[in-house]
Amino acid sequence: MNCKIIVGVQKTDFDLNLEMEALKLKTKKAGAVVFFVGKVRDLEDDKLKYLEIESFEELAKRKIKDICDDAATTWDLEYILVKHRFGRLELNDNIVLVITSSKHRKNAYEASRYIMECLKSNVPFWKKEVANNTQNWVENS
Amino acid sequence: MGKVKLKYFSRVREIIGKPSELIEVKSKNLQDLIEELQSMGEQYSVLKGEHFVVYSAVDQNMVTDFKASIEGATEIAFFPPMTGG
Repeated sequence: MNCKIIVGVQKTDFDLNLEMEALKLKTKKAGAVVFFVGKVRDLEDDKLKYLEIESFEELAKRKIKDICDDAATTWDLEYILVKHRFGRLELNDNIVLVITSSKHRKNAYEASRYIMECLKSNVPFWKKEVANNTQNWVENS
Repeated sequence: MGKVKLKYFSRVREIIGKPSELIEVKSKNLQDLIEELQSMGEQYSVLKGEHFVVYSAVDQNMVTDFKASIEGATEIAFFPPMTGG
């Protein structure tokens, strides 16, 4: 397994262009790169003020690394990057970035989806939607 | 057993009313610890998981068996189902 794995749990935003350039420097054998970005969306009634994401940082990093290791064992990948944000995020802010890269597209697509599904329910983050008069912890759908 | 740092997250933190605390733990497993904590206040009954599932991590390892030993642990976390991504 020669897959490069990068994990970040952070308050700050990420820059897609910079991440793409960094990837190019770190792997030259990959012909496919899949970017997945999760972002803050509005509520049905358009009343979202902001999203608060709480994290158990140390455990979250470990769990994400475990998920990436699983993905790298299952699919032939050259590069995986996962950066997940926490703290107060505004409408349309980025929440999570998953980059998977492989020689051909199939592995990168499948691994990206697998990692995202795992992030939804296996990593200690909790989202709270704050509206004008309500605050609700998001439940898994 | 000694002092253990307890951490609470999300809804569990809100109900218990604090993010963490250092307490002298006598119990030898999580099930007994939850009983022990309840004697400190009714808010700790949330840890029984009757209203929503409560997960635990002992020294940052997820635990599914609440009867497993916690002897020697230095940090125990409690939290609801995770909603990342």
